[in-house]
Amino acid sequence: MSEIIIKNLVKEYGDGFLAVDDVSLDIGDGEFMILVGPSGCGKSTLLRMIVGLEDITSGDLMINGQRVNDKKPRDRNLAMVFQNYALYPHLTVFENIAFPLRLRGGMSQEEIRTKVEAAADTLELTEHLKRKPGHLSGGQRQRVAMGRAIVRDADAFLFDEPLSNLDAKLRGQMRTELLRMQRRMGTTTVYVTHDQTEAMTLGDRVAVLRRGILQQVATPRELYEQPVNMFVAGFIGSPPMNFIPGEVEGGAIKLPFVTFELPAEMREAVGSRRQVNVAIRPERFEDASIADESKRSRGVTFRATVDVIEWLGNEQFAYIPYEAAHELEATLHELERELDSERMRSQLVVALDPVSKITDGTEAELWFDPRNVHLFDPESGANLTLTPTPVPADATQ
Amino acid sequence: MGSRRSANWWTLWGVLILLWALFPLLWMVSLSFKDPATFRGSTPSFFPKEWTWKNYDTVFSDSLFTSALRNSAGIALIATGLSVIVAMFAAYAIARLDFPGKRLILTVALAIAMFPQAALVGPLFNMWRGLGIYDTWIGLIIPYLTFALPLSIWTMSAFFRQIPWEMEQAAQVDGATAWQAFRKVIVPLAAPGVFTTAILTFFFCWNEFLLAISLTSTDKARTVPAALSFFTGASQFESPITAIMAASVVVTIPIVILVLAFQRRIVAGLTTGAVKG
Repeated sequence: MSEIIIKNLVKEYGDGFLAVDDVSLDIGDGEFMILVGPSGCGKSTLLRMIVGLEDITSGDLMINGQRVNDKKPRDRNLAMVFQNYALYPHLTVFENIAFPLRLRGGMSQEEIRTKVEAAADTLELTEHLKRKPGHLSGGQRQRVAMGRAIVRDADAFLFDEPLSNLDAKLRGQMRTELLRMQRRMGTTTVYVTHDQTEAMTLGDRVAVLRRGILQQVATPRELYEQPVNMFVAGFIGSPPMNFIPGEVEGGAIKLPFVTFELPAEMREAVGSRRQVNVAIRPERFEDASIADESKRSRGVTFRATVDVIEWLGNEQFAYIPYEAAHELEATLHELERELDSERMRSQLVVALDPVSKITDGTEAELWFDPRNVHLFDPESGANLTLTPTPVPADATQ
Repeated sequence: MGSRRSANWWTLWGVLILLWALFPLLWMVSLSFKDPATFRGSTPSFFPKEWTWKNYDTVFSDSLFTSALRNSAGIALIATGLSVIVAMFAAYAIARLDFPGKRLILTVALAIAMFPQAALVGPLFNMWRGLGIYDTWIGLIIPYLTFALPLSIWTMSAFFRQIPWEMEQAAQVDGATAWQAFRKVIVPLAAPGVFTTAILTFFFCWNEFLLAISLTSTDKARTVPAALSFFTGASQFESPITAIMAASVVVTIPIVILVLAFQRRIVAGLTTGAVKG
C-alpha cells in the first residue's frame, strides 16, 4: 500500500537527449495508473526511474512521503514484471518465486514454502513448481513473473509491457486476470503499455506521454471524450479519430465534403481563427437513411462516395477518400507519423451500424452531430472545444 | 533416395576425417605398448605383435616423469584457477560497465595474446634469475597467467554479454545487492562460459612447452612437455621413443577425460528459456 508522487522528474541522457521532460504525477494508494504513448515517448524510462534502474537527472520521486531518488532498487520495496519476464533460467519455478524472499532473509524455510505455494495457487502454477522456466509456455512464464512480484509484500507493482509477448487471445485473458488480481489485492500499480486497449480497460487513470512530455492524465473516459490536444485525440481510439482540415467562413466551417454551421459556443471558441482542424470520431457518424428522424434534424447530413466497406459483424467501417490539397495536411501527416501509423491518403473512416446497407463504390448519405465535433488549433494542436465535464474529484489532476 | 545417398557420403567423409585426425593418436598408443627392444623389427606393423606394459612401468618408475606430472598438474591447476577468477571479474566489468579505457584494455589484451612468446623467453630468463624465481612454480604460473588471461577475458566477456541485462535488473529489484545478483544469477548463467574458458586455459597451461623448457632447469618445476624431451628410456642402449609415447598417453588422458566430462556443459547453453525465444 503506498502512494507514489512524481515531481518535475527529468531524465537527460549523456548526449543531451531528454527522455523524460518535467513530468509530474500523483499516483494514489491502490490506484492503477497506466503510462501510455507511442514507442520512444519515455514511458518505460519513467517506469525504470520509479523502480530505480535509471538514474534521476532532476526532480523528486516520493514513495510514501519519502524521497527515494538516491535509494537503490532493492531499498525501494517495489516489484517489477519485465517485458521479457526475466526469469532465472537456472532455477525452478518454485525457486524463481522464492528468490526475493530468500534474498530478504529472516524467513524460515516453512514460511517461504507457504508463501510461494499461496502465490502459485493464486496464479494456478502449483503443478509447475518443480519445472524450469525453459519448459513453460509464454503464458505460464508470464504468470511466474507475476508470482515473483506478488509473493513479497511490495509497496507497488510496476509492469513494463507485460503482455506484449503473448498472442492476442492469451493477452485478453491475462489482461482480465491481471485486473482482477489488482482489484483484489488493492496494490498501487504502474503499468506501461503502448496498447490503448490495455490502457483503456485496465487503468483507473491513464497518463499519455509524448516525447517525454506528459500530455494528459485522466480517466479513460475523459481521455476519450475530452482529449486536451490532437496527439491525445489521435492516440486514443480505434480506428483513430478523423482529423479534417477546415476553413472558417463566418459562422460555418467548410470541410472538403460538407459545410456546416457551428453551434454558438463553438463559434466563440474558434474566435478569429481562419483555419481549424476538425476532429470527429468514426462512430459519431451514422448512415442517414437509418438514423432517427428526430436525430437527423439536429445534425448535418451530407453525401459522399464510399470507397471500401469492411463488415465485421458487430460493426462495419466505411472508408471515404477526399481531396485535400490543404496546407494543414502536412501537419496531419506529421502527427500520424508520430502516432506510429502511416497516413497513406486523406480519407474519412466511418463506423456504421452493421445493419446499414451501404455498399462499396456507391454514394451514401451520412449524418453527424456538430456538437460531437472537436476543434483543434492548427498551430498548437490544443483542443478548442474542451467542456469542463463533472468528473469525480479523485480523478482530476 | 537422393538424400540417403548424400547422407552416406557425409558419413564417409566423417569417417575419413576421423581417421586422419585419430591416426597420430592411435600410432602413439600403439607405440606405447610395443616392446622398446624390438619395436624397430624387420617386419614393421601398426599394432604391436606383443602388448606390453613395460613402457608404462619405465615411465612411472622414473622420478623425472612423476615429479614432472606433479609439477604440471599443480602449475596448470593454479594458473587456470587464478586466470578464471581474474578473467571473470574483468570480463564482467567489460561486458556490463562503461568506463574510460575499456577499448584500450581489450585491444591491449588482444595484443598480448598475439605477442610472440619466443621474443619474451630471453628477457624473462634473465629477469627470473634476477628475481630468484627461475625454476619455480610461480615462475611458470606468472607467464602462463599473462598469456591465458587475454583469451579468457575475450571469451568470457562474450558469454557475459549474452546474458540479458534484465536478469540482473530483476535480481536487483527483487532485493539483491550487486554482488548477490552477480553470484546468484550471473555466475550460474555464465557457468558454461566459465567452464569452457577454464578448460581452454587448462589445456594451454598443460601443453605449454617453450616457456616450460626455458624457465626450468630441474625437477623442481619442470612440467611434462619439457620433461619428455629429457627422456632416455630404461637404459641408454634402448630407444626412448616407446617410453616417451607412454608418457604422452598418460598426459593425454586428463585432457580426454575433461572433454568427455564437460562437453555437454560446454555445448548446452544454460540460458535457454531465460527470455521468450
